Amino acid sequence: MFRTSDVVLITVMLAAAAFTYKTKHDAEAKYEELRKIERQAELEEDSIDILKADWSLLTQPARLQRLAETYKDELGLEPVEAPRIAEFSDLPKKPLTIEGLVNDMADAGSVPDQTTTGAVRP
Amino acid sequence: MDDAASSAVRRGAATIVMDGAGKARGGRAQNRVVMAMAVMFGIYAALGGRLVHLAMQEEPEASVPAARVTASRPDLVDRNGEVLATDIKTASLFAEPRRIVDIDEAIEKLSTVLPDLNYQQTYRRLDSDAGFVWLRRQLSPRQQADILALGVPGLGFRTEKRRFYPGGATASHILGLVNIDNKGIAGIEKFVDDQGLADLQATGLAVEGHLEPVKLSVDLRVQHIIRDELVQALERYKAIAAGAVVLKANTGEVVGMASVPDYDPNNPVNALDKDRLNRMSAGVFEMGSTFKIFTTAMALDSGLVSLDDSFDATRPIRIGGFTINDFHGKRRVLSVPEIFIYSSNIGTAKMADVVGIEGHRAFLDKIGLLGRMSTELPEVAHPTEPKEWKKINSITISYGHGVATTPLQTAMAAAAMLNGGKLIPPTFLPRSEVEANEIAEQVISPNTSAQMRYLFRLNSEKGSGRRAEVDGYYVGGKTGTAEKVVDGRYSNSVRFNAFIAGFPADDPEYVVLVFVDEPKPEREGIGATAGLNAAPMVRNIIRRSAPLLGVKPEFGQESDALLVSQQ
Repeated sequence: MFRTSDVVLITVMLAAAAFTYKTKHDAEAKYEELRKIERQAELEEDSIDILKADWSLLTQPARLQRLAETYKDELGLEPVEAPRIAEFSDLPKKPLTIEGLVNDMADAGSVPDQTTTGAVRP
Repeated sequence: MDDAASSAVRRGAATIVMDGAGKARGGRAQNRVVMAMAVMFGIYAALGGRLVHLAMQEEPEASVPAARVTASRPDLVDRNGEVLATDIKTASLFAEPRRIVDIDEAIEKLSTVLPDLNYQQTYRRLDSDAGFVWLRRQLSPRQQADILALGVPGLGFRTEKRRFYPGGATASHILGLVNIDNKGIAGIEKFVDDQGLADLQATGLAVEGHLEPVKLSVDLRVQHIIRDELVQALERYKAIAAGAVVLKANTGEVVGMASVPDYDPNNPVNALDKDRLNRMSAGVFEMGSTFKIFTTAMALDSGLVSLDDSFDATRPIRIGGFTINDFHGKRRVLSVPEIFIYSSNIGTAKMADVVGIEGHRAFLDKIGLLGRMSTELPEVAHPTEPKEWKKINSITISYGHGVATTPLQTAMAAAAMLNGGKLIPPTFLPRSEVEANEIAEQVISPNTSAQMRYLFRLNSEKGSGRRAEVDGYYVGGKTGTAEKVVDGRYSNSVRFNAFIAGFPADDPEYVVLVFVDEPKPEREGIGATAGLNAAPMVRNIIRRSAPLLGVKPEFGQESDALLVSQQ
């Protein structure tokens, strides 16, 4: 009836058909997934735009000024005046004295440095 | 044999007959079978073909109709990257009533997302035969996603882009406006379109995500401070208008510029009112005594006048039926610095006279006060000048009457007087000092500029600019109180006040110009001169914005040092 080669060929054909079908089906599923992700990304992008606009709305100087004025007393807020602005270089140097140096060295020696960094094993 | 033969014949005949009959019957049956098979095969081929056809077809897209195409625009951001203008996408919900299965269910589901949906009205709309009804405009993306998640058939969205200005009116005159199609029609928005964005949009290349934000030279914080001060001043002095600009002296960058009354670009119903135009660049005014800055600089730069020279201001100048007088005349001989700080009309007129009419006009032209200023804003007015310059014109123009310029242009010229003599067109886009120096035009010598700094500072210490002084920022400035023309005559009660300042005065980083149009006295009994209203406005602007601009306050400087260093 059927020769072995026929059986083999039919099996191969069926397998190929099944494989093709599965591949196409999978591809469609992936496309669907892709579309979903694209929609999601688009939505997120739009949300980011809105949130950015929202953020700049909330950080408008006009709004911050209004808030600062409202909570001025409560929080003890005051505008910075020019005489309060200085750099480190503007500060007078601390005069060097023997006692001061000795104390500094003693302080540095008595307490081990507690700072840990990622570079060195504590 | 016969028998056998006959039987063979019979057999043969029978066979033949049987064959013939079988053939005849079988032929017809076979035809039928073939036909039936053909029909069946045809049906199955059609079915199969249709199946293949369906399988080949792409899945139909979700039933959201194509969005209305509104042009994409780049965001506008300030020099620190704060958003000044942006596109936001809004979704509008529509329904196709014919495709809605259960109206009650649809409305019930919808109202979980839109709680304020009017039930009866919506029902009436959905019950109709219409193919398309709007349900709600301008939803947020969140609401849109929620409605999509409801899975109600027959609902759809159209997305529309809208221009949004988070700052509202704060920078309205700089940013300008867009129309309903998101096309720029004023200000920087129009400038951006004219730079080729309009062409990009026309060819469909301006796709969202491809547009880099446009960075401006404006600092949102300073811009707010300027506008805030102007709005307060408008109320305090009951003026009809006010404007101010903060300019970077060495690059010509506009850090902030406002003109009130203005409009809200998010709702520009009144944007085209004549009263709300951008007076800083589209309005021309006779700038008054601030023009003495230019007359003095011209006289000093010509080499014909030095700081040590003196002019007789004892008597008014009479010419052609006009009398040129001083408001607070000292009635004595004044030195050049005295003429500047007492703002003497007589003295200034005499300085202009030294240079001559032709030289005067040529100088004002050179510093860009007689031509149309070139900048990004489309709204720029052309200054006015007399058709023919006579001596009387030169005299009045020397103290700021007879030539009307835009305030921004005046600030540009004043910056040139203070920054070492470089005339740099103002810009609203970032510009480095190197770029500025490439396009700068040397209009006065650095030495004259140093002398002008000294005069500016002197005026803030001893003259009319005292109320502009800010501790630590070393402001130098010049007031200008101009009389406005009412019914063809100069009125002494209707004024246009201005103040031009530079800070820090020893090497100005910023130039500030403020004007108030028709201010009234703050309270009974005091005047309404520029020293009393424009100067304090400048002080407030500098006091509030200088720390933000990173200008380092310094104390203990003497202005005499300035004079010594430049002499």
